[in-house]
Amino acid sequence: MGDPRTAAAGSGRLVGLLAEYESVDPLLAACRAVRDAGYARWDSMTPFPVHGVDRAMGIRRTILPKLVFVGGLTGALGGLAMQWWMNAVDYPVVISGKPLFSLPAQIPIIFELTILLSALTAFGGMLALNGLPRLYNPLFRSVRFQRVTNDRFYVFVEADDPRFDAERTRKLLEATGCVALEEIRDVEE
Amino acid sequence: MSERGSGERYWRSLEDLGDDPRFAEIAAREFPSLLPELADPRTRRTFLKLMGASMALAGLTACRWPEERILPFAKRPEGRVPGTPERYATAMELGGVARGLLVTSYDGRPIKIEGNPDHPGSAGATDSIAQAAILELFDPDRSRHPSQRVGGAHERRERADYESHIKGRIAALAGRGRGLAVLGEASSSPSLARMQGRLLRRFPALRWYEYEPVTRDNERLGADIALGAPLRTHLDLSSADVIVAFDADLLTGHPDALRHAREFAARRRADDGAMNRLHAVESAFSVTGAMADHRHAASSAAVAAFAGQLAAFVLGPLGELPRGLAQALARTEGRATAPFVEELADELRAHRGRGVVVAGPGQPPEVHALVHLMNDRLGNVNRTVHYTEDPGPTRPSHEAAIGELAEAIRSGEVETLVILGGNPVFDAPADVDFAGALGRLADSVHLSLYRNETSNACAWHVPRAHFLETWGDARAWDGTISIVQPLIEPLWGGVSPIELLSLLGDGEPAPGHDLVRETARGYLGRGGFESAWASALHDGLVEGSRLPRLPARPDPSRVARRVADWWPPVTPSETAGLEIVFLPDPKLHDGRFANNGWLQELPEPMTKMAWDNALLVGKATADEHGLRSHETAVVSVGEREIEAPVFVMPGQADGSLAIWLGQGRSVCGRVGDGVGADAYRLRTSGAMHRAVGASVRPTGKRHELATTQDHFAIDLLGLEETQRRRPELLREATLGEYREHPDFVRHRAHTPELHELWKPVEYDGYKWGMSIDLTACTGCSACVVACQAENNIPVVGKVEVIKGREMHWIRVDRYFKGEPDAPEVAFQPVTCHHCENAPCEQVCPVAATLHSEEGLNQMVYNRCIGTRYCSNNCPYKVRRFNFWNNQKATTDLEALRHNPEVTVRSRGVMEKCSYCVQRIEAARTLAKREDRRIADGDVTPACAQACPTQAIVFGDLNDRGSRVARAHASQRSYAMLEELKVKPRTRYLAKLRNPATDGGGDEHGGHA
Amino acid sequence: MTTPPPQRAYYQVPDQDPSRRARLVLGYDDFSSVNDAVARIVERPRPGAGWYVGFAVSSALLLVLGAMVTYLVTTGVGVWGVNQPSGWGFAIINFVWWVGIGHAGTLISAILFLFRQQWRTSINRAAEAMTIFAVICAGVFPGIHVGRVWFAYWMFPLPNQMAMWPQFRSPLLWDVFAVSTYFLVSAMFWYMGMIPDLAMLRDRARTRGRQIAYGLLSLGWVGSSRQWHRYEVAYLLLAALATPLVLSVHSVVSFDFAVSQLPGWHTTILPPYFVAGAIFSGFAMVVTLLVPARQFFGLKELITVRHLENMCKIILATGSMVGYSYAIEFFISWYSGNLTEAFVFVNRAFGPYSAAYWLMVTCNVVVPQLFWFRICRRNMLVMLLVCMLVNVGMWLERFVIVVTSLHRDFLPSSWGMYYPTWVDILTYLGSFGLFFFLFMLFCRYAPFIAVAEIKTVMPLAHAHPPEESHG
Repeated sequence: MGDPRTAAAGSGRLVGLLAEYESVDPLLAACRAVRDAGYARWDSMTPFPVHGVDRAMGIRRTILPKLVFVGGLTGALGGLAMQWWMNAVDYPVVISGKPLFSLPAQIPIIFELTILLSALTAFGGMLALNGLPRLYNPLFRSVRFQRVTNDRFYVFVEADDPRFDAERTRKLLEATGCVALEEIRDVEE
Repeated sequence: MSERGSGERYWRSLEDLGDDPRFAEIAAREFPSLLPELADPRTRRTFLKLMGASMALAGLTACRWPEERILPFAKRPEGRVPGTPERYATAMELGGVARGLLVTSYDGRPIKIEGNPDHPGSAGATDSIAQAAILELFDPDRSRHPSQRVGGAHERRERADYESHIKGRIAALAGRGRGLAVLGEASSSPSLARMQGRLLRRFPALRWYEYEPVTRDNERLGADIALGAPLRTHLDLSSADVIVAFDADLLTGHPDALRHAREFAARRRADDGAMNRLHAVESAFSVTGAMADHRHAASSAAVAAFAGQLAAFVLGPLGELPRGLAQALARTEGRATAPFVEELADELRAHRGRGVVVAGPGQPPEVHALVHLMNDRLGNVNRTVHYTEDPGPTRPSHEAAIGELAEAIRSGEVETLVILGGNPVFDAPADVDFAGALGRLADSVHLSLYRNETSNACAWHVPRAHFLETWGDARAWDGTISIVQPLIEPLWGGVSPIELLSLLGDGEPAPGHDLVRETARGYLGRGGFESAWASALHDGLVEGSRLPRLPARPDPSRVARRVADWWPPVTPSETAGLEIVFLPDPKLHDGRFANNGWLQELPEPMTKMAWDNALLVGKATADEHGLRSHETAVVSVGEREIEAPVFVMPGQADGSLAIWLGQGRSVCGRVGDGVGADAYRLRTSGAMHRAVGASVRPTGKRHELATTQDHFAIDLLGLEETQRRRPELLREATLGEYREHPDFVRHRAHTPELHELWKPVEYDGYKWGMSIDLTACTGCSACVVACQAENNIPVVGKVEVIKGREMHWIRVDRYFKGEPDAPEVAFQPVTCHHCENAPCEQVCPVAATLHSEEGLNQMVYNRCIGTRYCSNNCPYKVRRFNFWNNQKATTDLEALRHNPEVTVRSRGVMEKCSYCVQRIEAARTLAKREDRRIADGDVTPACAQACPTQAIVFGDLNDRGSRVARAHASQRSYAMLEELKVKPRTRYLAKLRNPATDGGGDEHGGHA
Repeated sequence: MTTPPPQRAYYQVPDQDPSRRARLVLGYDDFSSVNDAVARIVERPRPGAGWYVGFAVSSALLLVLGAMVTYLVTTGVGVWGVNQPSGWGFAIINFVWWVGIGHAGTLISAILFLFRQQWRTSINRAAEAMTIFAVICAGVFPGIHVGRVWFAYWMFPLPNQMAMWPQFRSPLLWDVFAVSTYFLVSAMFWYMGMIPDLAMLRDRARTRGRQIAYGLLSLGWVGSSRQWHRYEVAYLLLAALATPLVLSVHSVVSFDFAVSQLPGWHTTILPPYFVAGAIFSGFAMVVTLLVPARQFFGLKELITVRHLENMCKIILATGSMVGYSYAIEFFISWYSGNLTEAFVFVNRAFGPYSAAYWLMVTCNVVVPQLFWFRICRRNMLVMLLVCMLVNVGMWLERFVIVVTSLHRDFLPSSWGMYYPTWVDILTYLGSFGLFFFLFMLFCRYAPFIAVAEIKTVMPLAHAHPPEESHG
């Protein structure tokens, strides 16, 4: 892993500091430290969802479930309305001598549409809230960072965090026992 | 049809047509310039010709979507309203008997044939053959131009060529016309008779022969024996309580069958609590046998024997049995007289003057003689049986005539032979070897609708005009004269027999119109001829032209003498071998309709077999000889033998084989070529109806027969289930049971109480419904072809029928009951029931089938995507799917017969019975114009209109007084599969039987 | 590792532990070796000869499918064996069969996920892929089986110039919604699960092409904990939604039959019966695919015997349910006193199609009983054989249901037989082409195993008490 002080990715504006860890335990420790230091614009990157990192970082519960509920409700009501309007209002014809609108026959489609819209909301909502797709990310400029999907764990503190100070933040991170520390810089304009 | 490339063949002949100068001129000019011609009174005919040609030409360029041109009437001819159907009365002559018809014409295109309600033989009904004549008219395989044999092959000639040739021959003939002979078909045409007379006056030495393969000569000969003259027998079934038929298919296999069926059915409905009783003694299962209250299967010879025994029982006690006869009938060779014969005799005696005994054309003259004797002694004559003159009383029998002609040709007495229609090369008795004889003849002219076997053997072929294209006249069975008037100009410039005769006689062809009028002057009387002529044309018949009834008494001694010589008939036995009975094809008659797809594909009522003829064998005989259905066997009589597929037919008499004549054509057309087996090759003079000493051996070769019921062999499991369900589906009772429990229908099936789950839709406008009387239905299947013609239903061909893809919107289910050797049969026409809770509708994802506010279950072809779910969910399985583009093989010419009021369905679309909604709409328009409700009887679906027995009734159920409402209210009325609560609009009237042994019957209403 | 705390006990206890809980991941002690194991498959410059052979064969079959469909569309449904009365044949049978197979994947993913059955982790990816491909195959048939394919889109509620709308009482329409929903949800579920692993491939990618391809597909995933948080919530929600969906889809498919009034179709047992059957055939297909796959791609340590054994148990269970349904169907048809109904079932067992019926019973009910024996549950060959037979049996089940009910319904006069044509058969074979074509591509280019998830069930993935930690 070489000397912590080396290799600054990129040469442009400083985007933030990236600290690398070898295992879960120091990562969690680092997270607690950064959280307690009161930073707001920072994150930790891991190859898999790490148990307990949410608490360690103080991440609040997402609103996604509420969105999904709204989506599902839309699907249900929409499905009901669609069938009622199409078969009983806009194009009413006598079919097998049955009533123009009868709920039992409409339930399967109502159900399917409920599921469909909920699922779409869950998937789309997740992407939107995560700001995905985001095809360019300064972190990708760091060779070291490529292990984020492999076996290394990272803490990244953004430079435009109000509390960010190149030196103090560096010290804070070094104290967390990272195996590497790296300045992430953007390309030259 | 197997040949889908037929279009090409059509184009080629169009080019031929294009060569016709008149046509070329017509086609060259743009249509507007034709308007003067359209102003001509015969417009509707000219017009068609142009239209047909133009569409065809357009078709030349674009095959899939033929470009169509609109033909505006700039000046509308007097009384012509474009797009409105017009009806013209005419007649179709078959086997010398006229069927009175009413033909619907659309802008000059005849598209539908109905029976003429005013005509005694029809009363508005038709048989399947008449229904199918439209298809024949537009058959692209019809002969389109004259031709002359050069070497082996025929070369195309023009009309002028054969005319000059004939003129030449006439001139060459010695003054008395020695060496000239004419072979005609059986005909009752007064004009033809007149022309014949003129010809004979001009050429006294001319020989005139008449041959008809399906002949009723035995009736004439029988009458000759008994009554001293070949009188024609007429039955009045409306006043007959007991009918005994010996091998006589009165209800479908008789020239007067339509009237028979109507009168017979009228006495079966038991509204007054009484019914007639029909006994049938026959070898092959006929429709009449199916309708009989008692049927006895016996070989054709045994039938004759039974007739003899009946005569003994009937006449004996009356003390009127001539000695010779008594002695003869006593010699029954130890043959036990069946008990039923004695009972028959008692029953007939008990109904003096209200019974009928009748023998079929297949029975020998002696039997007919005995029948005349019986009817006379039972006092039936002039009550239920009448006699009239027979047209052409002096002619020799057809059988004899054709033999003499062949002889005359061989001996060189005939040098020039003119054949008016017919196909003797194919259907003459095998031993006559007519083809061989004809081959020797240097000069022969054959007038024929198609280029057939005989045409090829003749030196000249002349295209014949279809009866819908030409003027003529003919007599009905009762002698009533009908004028045959054309609906359209000859499509291919054909001529009629009388026109050809006029050419022969006068050396100049006179137009048929003039010839017929000339004849008419004879029977219409001089005074006010024009008005009489007009009304004759309008009515389609000449009032009071019926043949007068003649008093006639049989001469017992002469009958006795003849019978004594003939008695006893040789019945099948180890020594005598099997007997084989030759029957006219129920659909193709003598084979002349073999190229008619509608008839070929029509399931024969008893066997439900389409597209074939087969050797009909009884169960026992089949087992004995190792014969199996759908396998071929070789039948041999003497040294003659044919190979034909076997069909094991329940109720076929043991030791007796039956086969239909007319199939197995070799020079026929794209439809009929090579279909079935040619039974004529077994038939020899002297054995025209029945040959003895036949032997049969199975070949084991597979030959799939296309049967529309039991499509595939059904296993025991299925058979048992069928028998279990039959009494519920097809409810019947004996008259006795009906009297005891008038509500028996409700006890035939155990239907649970049905409740409404939701508020049912109400129909307070019209509420269309149908009722089908199973007591009246004879299964004749005229409705099937009528529906096919009315609704542009395609023909799919044998292979598809075998797969179970026939398209008929109405089918006639046939159910057997009881022992396979003596089964009872019942028919049940099934078509869309227009259920109010139609199961088909709720499963269609695109609402392609839905209900109208009048309760019709409508099929929206344009919307259908073809999931076939509706068909799966239809309990009656009456929906039909276009698995292919079934119109692909339809040439533009054939397309002209399509009913413009009915969509032609595309590939991948479901279709089904619409209750003839187009007719409902037509009636609605009419009613609106007259500002009234549609009255009962205004709407008649095609099936109901064709039905000879009025078994099908249609109308408005909201109109309490309508026939259908009353029928539905009847105690015999029931809905099939009522328990499904689909609320069908079509209900059945349960079948009634009237067996003599009416012991209340078992649970299923049969009799012991 | 001394005295492991109970909450992380199960995945560490060795195989011979009486509780019979084998480790889910064998032989790997660090994360990157897992990465390597999975990525190796994708990164090999050229896969083994076996892959090429399989790919060639499936492509050939795919071409056959294309040819058959072209022939059908240009000629007409008449090229098939369907007729009156059997309006439905192979197309619908194959449709139901494929949809059924398409049930295991989502079920394994969703339901087992909800139940925290972590043994699912190494098989769910492949299973989901199988689901999606099977549903694609299924989707082909309803599309082409209609008489006028070019108008099939009328089944969707699209505004049109005819101002007409679909008829929502039709089970076929329910089908359209159910199957398309099922396809979309399964696809989302599958893709979402793959995003982190695609990112892994992106980061390992050395060629430009791969970098761009996987870069786009992974949507810029950096595995930030805030992303992971929403990701897990969304995944949980999808699982929760997919579970009832799985059960509903085959119920709706069964409505095609149950809602009609045809004897043999019109039975209330059909929905549960169909669902059980679907899971049954689905798991059988998963095993059929995984057994050779783990062989070829050397994933024995990730897809362990225990995974397969568990699936065998489920097959045994669902198979028994199916067998129960067969029995109860017969009983009810007799008990109902409805003779028409009764005949259908007697006809199934003893009528012209009895052979198909008894073969079905053998394959679906008798053969799976082998899985009562541990030795059979752990023997790859036996497993493969049984599962293939199960799939044959399940196809026959659909054949029996569709054909024997249709060919003899209410009116004996309209009874008939159904025989498939060569087009029917080749179309069916062709659909295998489509399936394996897609599956081969998946094996070659996608993360065959859910790497990120595997890592979560590895010992390393869990925090240790601070004092045990070392720098």
